[in-house]
Amino acid sequence: MKDHAVEVASPAALDAKGISKSFGGIAALQHVDFSGSPGEVHGLLGENGAGKSTFIKLIVGALRPDAGTISVFGEALGGGPRRARRLGVAAVLQEIPLIPDLTVAQNIWFRDEPMHRLGMISERRLLSMTRTLFERLGVEGIGPSALVRELSLSNRQVIAISRSVAHSPRVLIFDEATSALPPKEVEWALSLARDIARQGGLVIFISHRLREVRTVADRITIFRNSRAVGTYRTEEVSDDRLITEMLGRPPQMLYPPPQRTRTTRLMLEVRGLNAGDRLKDVALDVREGEILGIGGLEGQGQNELLLALAGLRPARGEIKVNGVGMNISSSRQALRAGIALIPEDRQSQGLLLTKSIRHNVSLSILGGITRWGVLNLTKETHLVESMTKRLNVKATDIDQIARTLSGGNQQKVLMARVLLTKARILLLNDPARGVDVGTKADIFGLLRQLTAEGYGIVLHSTDFQELVNLSDRLMILRGGSISAILQGDDLTETNALSASVGNWTN
Amino acid sequence: MTPPAQIESHKRRPRSWLSEVPIPMPYIALAILVAMVTTQRPSYLSVAQLNLTTLEAFSLILVTVGQTIVILSGGLDLSVGGVINLTTVLAATQFGRGGAHMVVWILLLLLLGLAIGAVNGAVVRRLRMQPFVVTLATWSILSGVSLLILPTPGGQIPASWLSFGNMTVGGLSIWVMGLAGIAVFWVSFTRRPLGRAIKALGSNSEAAYLAGVRVAPTVVGAYALCGLFAAACGLFLTTQTGGGSPIIGNDFVLPSVAATAIGGTRLTGGFASLAGAIAGAYVLTVINDVVFTFGIPQAWSIVLSGLLLVMAVFLGELRGLLHRWA
Amino acid sequence: MMGDRLKWVRRNVGTLGAYAVAVILFSAITAFVPGFGSAAHIRFLLLTAAFVGVVALGQTFVILGGGFDLSIPWTLNAVSTITTALCLGHDTRLLWVLPLVFGLAALIGLINGVGVAIFRISPIIMTMAMNVIGQGLVVLGFSGLSSTKSPPLIRDMVNRVVVELPIGVWIWLLLAAIATILLSFTGFGRRLYAVGTNDQVSRFAGINIAATRIATYVISGVCAGIAGLMLTGFIGESSLGFGDPFLFASVAAVAVGGASVLGGQGHYLGTVAGALILTFLTGLLPILNLAQGWLEIIYGLAILVTVGIANMERFRLEA
Repeated sequence: MKDHAVEVASPAALDAKGISKSFGGIAALQHVDFSGSPGEVHGLLGENGAGKSTFIKLIVGALRPDAGTISVFGEALGGGPRRARRLGVAAVLQEIPLIPDLTVAQNIWFRDEPMHRLGMISERRLLSMTRTLFERLGVEGIGPSALVRELSLSNRQVIAISRSVAHSPRVLIFDEATSALPPKEVEWALSLARDIARQGGLVIFISHRLREVRTVADRITIFRNSRAVGTYRTEEVSDDRLITEMLGRPPQMLYPPPQRTRTTRLMLEVRGLNAGDRLKDVALDVREGEILGIGGLEGQGQNELLLALAGLRPARGEIKVNGVGMNISSSRQALRAGIALIPEDRQSQGLLLTKSIRHNVSLSILGGITRWGVLNLTKETHLVESMTKRLNVKATDIDQIARTLSGGNQQKVLMARVLLTKARILLLNDPARGVDVGTKADIFGLLRQLTAEGYGIVLHSTDFQELVNLSDRLMILRGGSISAILQGDDLTETNALSASVGNWTN
Repeated sequence: MTPPAQIESHKRRPRSWLSEVPIPMPYIALAILVAMVTTQRPSYLSVAQLNLTTLEAFSLILVTVGQTIVILSGGLDLSVGGVINLTTVLAATQFGRGGAHMVVWILLLLLLGLAIGAVNGAVVRRLRMQPFVVTLATWSILSGVSLLILPTPGGQIPASWLSFGNMTVGGLSIWVMGLAGIAVFWVSFTRRPLGRAIKALGSNSEAAYLAGVRVAPTVVGAYALCGLFAAACGLFLTTQTGGGSPIIGNDFVLPSVAATAIGGTRLTGGFASLAGAIAGAYVLTVINDVVFTFGIPQAWSIVLSGLLLVMAVFLGELRGLLHRWA
Repeated sequence: MMGDRLKWVRRNVGTLGAYAVAVILFSAITAFVPGFGSAAHIRFLLLTAAFVGVVALGQTFVILGGGFDLSIPWTLNAVSTITTALCLGHDTRLLWVLPLVFGLAALIGLINGVGVAIFRISPIIMTMAMNVIGQGLVVLGFSGLSSTKSPPLIRDMVNRVVVELPIGVWIWLLLAAIATILLSFTGFGRRLYAVGTNDQVSRFAGINIAATRIATYVISGVCAGIAGLMLTGFIGESSLGFGDPFLFASVAAVAVGGASVLGGQGHYLGTVAGALILTFLTGLLPILNLAQGWLEIIYGLAILVTVGIANMERFRLEA
């Protein structure tokens, strides 16, 4: 709980005005104004793709805005990461930016090392400074001489957090900084954040865990579709309001009416799926015409599950497709078995951005449109055009380059590719992420259509509302194993959230 | 300030024993090869022989040090061949009678190596071109220039430089002490901001940039140092060959990378072992002696060096894979 | 429609640009150097361009797939040396020698491909090592031999003029046609471009990345072999080391032809233009009485300039 009063003081700790940033014609931020006060913890909420990460990258100097200004305690930011650091900005980012081949101590004091007279770094002082810091912060059990490369993910986050506070920053950013930490360490991180605020700094706190944000933030700003759509004092705003603002319209309207018609034909049976320590004894069934949702907090094995089912990740277990046992150890085998995946990151895993729609869509069915290896271009054109038309892809023609399409249309192109294959079991990894609302509705409508045609769908989403409204059954993963399978009247957001944190019993 | 929570270390990723042990490959290989030769030539293990072997290996050692630095930064420098060519032909045509004139030229050539390396680095960074492509091109250009200056091996190296190069102090060749100099350089280099920045860049360039590393000067620095060492190699070669050659450097490109790889340096950057690289250079040199001693045709030594390179890289990959899935 | 044609031009600007440069260069040189444009000289230029063009064909495929082949010099040399050594001037022996040497060339490519695609060894390292190993083995087996003379049939095949052009040039044209079909009109071509553009995407889409990459190295090995025989026929004999300039030349031709050295972008037709441009430039050397060193300088500059410009373009687009 917060135990200090918040006064909106001036000058602002962080002042951003009219910030815009686009990548290749796609706007990531549009005319964003933001003001963070000294002494406060300010939460940022928003779906993935809403612009939060881009905004953060601008503040730390990793990117430069196309328009607008950012200033830190009155001084303009306008250079690279070095300038930001000099102005007192420190960040713990999602992709933990530590140097794997340097030790813990070397990482923490990187670019700020204590020197000997001869201009050489004093390793000894480095170690003692680290020990002092760890004592101050209460970090135990991590050796300063350990190579970061050999540390576990949660330890790396602890190091990243320690590094960020080591120089008493004036603006501290936590971007999903607690995602891999167990509860005790999360509390530690949050208390550090409060300390920085208490000392007069600004803490910007991003987390998808709504509870966490509420616990620590004084004010919350919502990002949606590349804009900052509202700032609220935490105590004055309800969860529902926050969620509504994040989504942009009352949740109900997005989803097509569920059709709970059930056939009992099993398309996919999975038993005893194990993958290292990421998946433990997962079992699931997918029936014809049903959508099986996969949910839970981020990083609990959902990605690994989908990758394993698609043959893209080694795993042990039994998989039966239409009653026949299958060995799925490559994407080609999965496709042949009738399982196709729409990956999480459409830009780096899904699409060949520099190639045309035609090239992208026909990529998985090349065998079917060639004779003796030679392409039948007429057949290809026909297939690609009819599929893109069915999915309502907005493009000038199928030779348009994928990079120039909007996020939503890019997702549709990916779906087109998968639908052209013979796969009837579709694995979708967060398909509506970072997609505009109109296309979201299109995609959800398409999913319902497909189930009506007899497809079996496994849908992973980081959005609980999506999962609850679209799934016929919802499987919650926690720590790589199944925490709950919700269906019927039990299929509610509250139950899903409870199961995600381990509070659900049948 | 409220007392912060105490944390405990969490499940450390279990270390596969294989990844903990520093690869002893170059040392073992060296020991085996030396043993092989010694069986036929007992005099091989002597100070006099150490001098000879070091003389043979020193040119490769010099260029390997530079290559190791560039590879540590995440790059690759094929143009060392061209720098060596150019250095030897310029030395052979410009040293004249020796004396102060020669000393000036020695400094100039070292500076030239530094400058060429700096240009490599600048092009790689500023134009965002792949190191392989850039250094392949500069290798070609420098070799062409060398051919223009001295179309066939020859030229004149003053006697003073030759005798300097073959001096001994207290029974040890000065180049054995040169090794000590290299060691001192390396210790200093790894503890300086530039050295650390180079290592960071090769380890995780994104993180290094975010942490405030000035990428362009770091890259330029790494390639400049490599050029410097390549020039030093060329200068050393002239003390041994007595002349210049526009093609002698070409045979050093693969071995410099091979020695680095055999020595355990990661070819994708971030981790380097100088001791290993020097051992690797010795390995490649002693292979020649092995081949000669056993009467095997000379050409086998390059075949073996190629095979060793592939094996070293392959083992490195294996280790990396084990590490990830241990 | 006008719009379609404009789009096609914009998409193939690299390749078209290369041809434009080739034509302009040729015209400029011919204007200043009498005899440069004579029929005999053109035949000569085209034939020497064919050697670069054929090795660059293999290099194009490898680079499109995201790799590099540095083993071209000694694969070329191996095929050439072994052929002359085994044939000893007798054409009939070609019946069994040819399959043997091409099998060897393909094998070298296969080893390269397997090392790169399955054992994840960097292509630069793998092919550089194979080059050196090839060098050693060829020198071991075949140096100091009595005969290095080309079998007469090969000499004939390369140099005889048929329908205005030496057969060697026709061979090049045939290979160019095959390459174009492979790249633009087959499933293999689509897979190759996908693999060279983005590994992960190709994997997720179910493409056999390893097989595609291995195929490129095999193609490169075979092309190096073909070039080796052509060169032998042209010169009349094989010599150790005469394959060395072709490494720089092949990369330069690919780069000048507009392909991206990162893979996934470009076409062999562009490389053809690149080979022509380089040949025109180097054809100037004897005329301007310039020493051989200029050859290497030209190759190096060509690579730097074209890739540099392409990169600056890329940044303008992405900014």
